[in-house]
Amino acid sequence: MTRKVLIVDDSKLARMAVIKALDSLHPDWTRFEASDATAALEIVRREAPDIALLDFNMPGMDGLVLAAELRQQSPATHVAVISANHQVEVVNRARAAGAAFLPKPLTADALREFLVGVPDPQRSVR
Amino acid sequence: MNDFLQQFLLESRELAEQATAALLSLERAPHDAEQLGTVFRAMHTLKGGAGIVDFFAMERAVHAAEDLLTAARAGRRTMDATAVGDCLACVDQVLQWLDTLEETGELPGGAEQDADGIVARFERDTGEDASPSASVPPDPSADGDSAGVSAGSYASDRLPARARDVLAAQIALVHGASGGSHGHLLSAAVTAANLLRAFDRAADADELDRIAAMRRADNMRPTLHAVLLRLLEDQPEAPAAAVAGENLPGVRGETTSRTLRVDAERIDALVRLTGEITIATNGLAHLAKVAYTDGNPMAAVLKDRHAAFAHLTADLQRSVLGLRVLPLRVVFQRFPRLLREMSAQLDKPVELKFAGEETEADKAIVEMLFEPLLHVLRNALDHGVERAPVRAGRRKPRTATIEMRASREGDQVLIEVADDGGGVDTARIRRVAAERGLADADSLEAMTEAEVTALVFAPGFSTATEVTTLSGRGVGMDAVRAAVERVGGRVSIHSEPGLGTTVRFLLPFSVMMTTVMSVEAGGQMFGVPLDTVVETIRVPQHRLGVVGAVRAVVVRDQTIPVFDLAQLLGEPPPREHPGDATIVIAAFAGQRCGLGVDALGERLDIILKPLDGLLAGTPGIAGTTLLGDGRVLLVLDIAELLQ
Repeated sequence: MTRKVLIVDDSKLARMAVIKALDSLHPDWTRFEASDATAALEIVRREAPDIALLDFNMPGMDGLVLAAELRQQSPATHVAVISANHQVEVVNRARAAGAAFLPKPLTADALREFLVGVPDPQRSVR
Repeated sequence: MNDFLQQFLLESRELAEQATAALLSLERAPHDAEQLGTVFRAMHTLKGGAGIVDFFAMERAVHAAEDLLTAARAGRRTMDATAVGDCLACVDQVLQWLDTLEETGELPGGAEQDADGIVARFERDTGEDASPSASVPPDPSADGDSAGVSAGSYASDRLPARARDVLAAQIALVHGASGGSHGHLLSAAVTAANLLRAFDRAADADELDRIAAMRRADNMRPTLHAVLLRLLEDQPEAPAAAVAGENLPGVRGETTSRTLRVDAERIDALVRLTGEITIATNGLAHLAKVAYTDGNPMAAVLKDRHAAFAHLTADLQRSVLGLRVLPLRVVFQRFPRLLREMSAQLDKPVELKFAGEETEADKAIVEMLFEPLLHVLRNALDHGVERAPVRAGRRKPRTATIEMRASREGDQVLIEVADDGGGVDTARIRRVAAERGLADADSLEAMTEAEVTALVFAPGFSTATEVTTLSGRGVGMDAVRAAVERVGGRVSIHSEPGLGTTVRFLLPFSVMMTTVMSVEAGGQMFGVPLDTVVETIRVPQHRLGVVGAVRAVVVRDQTIPVFDLAQLLGEPPPREHPGDATIVIAAFAGQRCGLGVDALGERLDIILKPLDGLLAGTPGIAGTTLLGDGRVLLVLDIAELLQ
């Protein structure tokens, strides 16, 4: 079953890397890209993606704040924050926002593990 | 190079520029949390990018810088000159790697060793400062000093160093790792207010009290941050638009969808295509003329159609050339870094200011300006800006100011480099000119100050002997003038003794670049636009027959009339050439004809200056161009010539 994936990162190079990982697992899925939080939220409004992969380190609204916003606006979307910064604090903040944490650079394996947890929409309401 | 490496190259360059601009800004204002955040994010993304393309050496090197910046953000280190220098060195190394990547198409080998060097540098310089104490009692009797910030021309009623440390600590609190809760913000605002009150800065203290009264943290945070920063730097409320290097916006501006990034080559292809369309339109003109001469009833209609086409083509050409414009900021922003080094070498503190950096000009002009401007900057620093004791004696600020200004004047662009130094030393110029035999003693005597100043443009004036890419003739204002004139511009120097010097460049807004083939005819060189050239042949004289009143040659079963170029241009008819005839076969308006020339030269990319003034109506000449060796080449309009 095909799904919609939103990829948010201000670096096009980083988005290319995520897409490459995604392609190796699910080349048939639809992807959307955004380079900042504003564009991302717009896409969420329009497309209601199943999955959102957010970079943490972005100017303006960072990935963690965006994750919280997304969980509010679109609770059915599965959100993961991607960051090279593995500090416990960041990981916890991600969890607190209802998002998974994925380390950067993103590998196909890490992505696959995350996607395994996706089929059941989380029913917890914030 | 694969897609990933291409994108990596593109993005990394932009990030490196962002980081550099922010670092230079931090050098002058080490506690600017926003700039610190910018550098940090840039380096973090650079590191990420390196990881994506498996450039491990770069990952390591940038990681070392990132660690330093993390410590700085947490308040464990100050961004002092060493820290900034180390980070800049890291960015430099990255840029070098990127250059190698671009040249070779592959990640640079030997990068691991370079990375080792960078990492070692950061390790050597880890001096973690003690965090500034937040409980220092203000000491009103301490006099204001410059607190180790790089020299600037600030007013003398600055807060003393310890007070500034306290303010800096409050800023750190506002932007702390815990995100600055309301409690933190309140504490910071109140502390700062008390501090300022102790220094009789009642108005500022009141402002902080008002901020402290704000209810919502997210309103309070940016306001408090801005006010604390302003107080720390003692700057007036509204930042001037023309502040040195620190606020040049990054080249990376794709936050809105109204801009597109386009490959420069595509634009050049479009420009060439537009040129061809222009030629095709000219062919219509010819057709219309022929129809008129033949009394063809279609003549009038054709003439109108051609006129319509000509308008559209001209508009198209203007629009397309307009795509190639860049803001002058692109070349200006290369200088703060270089100036910093020159200033340190010569021990002459100087501040570089910009104005009008968003003014646009053709890409060719903007790119060509780098070396001339660099040379002018060097001169300003070497000769213009006086040494400290002299400046002090003249009651000038310790830090000299050089301003680079750009503005649009009609269809030209004006760029000025103005310094507040001592002006041009005409006595020295007279001496050097005499020494180098550029003028005899009597003429020098008779010259006005302005005329003497203009002597710096004379070839042979410059004292340096290195050869640069400017013109192959060496550095010096003569090379600058040659480069500027080659694009159709003018440069002049204006000096006010004791007050300063301004070098003024007037350049055309857009340029037309074309490729020509140079040919020799009648003992002179001419340029034939390459778009009109189909082929060139050499044939033995006996193959040139006569058809009616005209000579002709048969090429691949086609009879092509041949005209002697020198004769077409009004030169006397040639003697019979002993050897083979060299013929350039040109096409226009669907027809072909041959031009007999004496010899063929090379292909040249030139900037065409249309004829103006007295020569404007000369038939057969499209314009002129200045060759690298200073000669003028006449470029032909083949269609006109053959009518």
